[in-house]
Amino acid sequence: MATPSPPSGTLCSETIALDKNAIVAFASRFDPQPYHLDEDAAAQSIFGNLCASGWHIAALATRLVSETLISNELSFVQMISVRQLKWNQPTFMNEEISVRIALGATGEESPIAGTHSQALEVDVCNGDGAVVAKMAVTAAIANDPKLAGTS
Amino acid sequence: MTTLYLRDRWFEDLPVGEFHVFGSHTFSELEIVEFAQTFDPRLESTDPEKARDNHSQGLVASPWLITAMWMRKMVDYMEVYAQGVNDGRRNGAGVAINDLQWLEPVRPGHTLTYTYEIIAKPERVIREKWGLIRSRNEAFNQYSNKVMCFDIDILAERRPKNSNDV
Repeated sequence: MATPSPPSGTLCSETIALDKNAIVAFASRFDPQPYHLDEDAAAQSIFGNLCASGWHIAALATRLVSETLISNELSFVQMISVRQLKWNQPTFMNEEISVRIALGATGEESPIAGTHSQALEVDVCNGDGAVVAKMAVTAAIANDPKLAGTS
Repeated sequence: MTTLYLRDRWFEDLPVGEFHVFGSHTFSELEIVEFAQTFDPRLESTDPEKARDNHSQGLVASPWLITAMWMRKMVDYMEVYAQGVNDGRRNGAGVAINDLQWLEPVRPGHTLTYTYEIIAKPERVIREKWGLIRSRNEAFNQYSNKVMCFDIDILAERRPKNSNDV
């Protein structure tokens, strides 16, 4: 079955603001290290200020990727793999992030039935436009858009 | 008997081949739904009933929940072994991950066991202070099937020159 031809070029997302509560809530559950939990401890750490877990950034970036692809009529189903994810710099409290997505190659093979694969190069940017993280990923895209539903 | 303090060692003291089992976690329906509501609001992770008729054939955990739980199991494990250590920060932040794959669905009630093995020490010095420890990390479900794997580079502090601190 032929895969639908995707839009080409670069797509940009909305922004998400990261306040202290969100950073601490994620970190308390998944990454309880001092520099993600406590401002005083963070000030003395390698980062110098309270900052989000890198896994928090990865999860939020993926949410932004899925929303952006879906609003551009690419029926994102799931992230399949991440060839590389680099954290370039911390994301501090009260910063906001957005993603810039460069669409790469599509492939017919995907582990999820009814989907094809789509390579994506994702830059996660803060409010100053600095790239705080980069991800090279493969996403599963539904062949039939009705398969991809968000709640 | 020597106690193994994972966080009390310099970069130079961490051997390639060192292996740890961070522990296991059983995923509940509630935590799968709660995580997805915030981070991954797809039917297959947020709505147990609609997920039944979906391609997922039931509720599945968001990929990043599986990976975030790796982080939690690692921190818990390191904290246990770091008891009594004043400087708990010699092993620092993650810098990059490579070849992350989610291989099989994780569903409510599934139990994952997370493992860690040091596979390389790339020859790099970062900010004149840190080296890189590259580890391979895997999660296995209750059937011993591998469901997730990735490599990660984590900073480890190099032994200062002229240091008597062992």
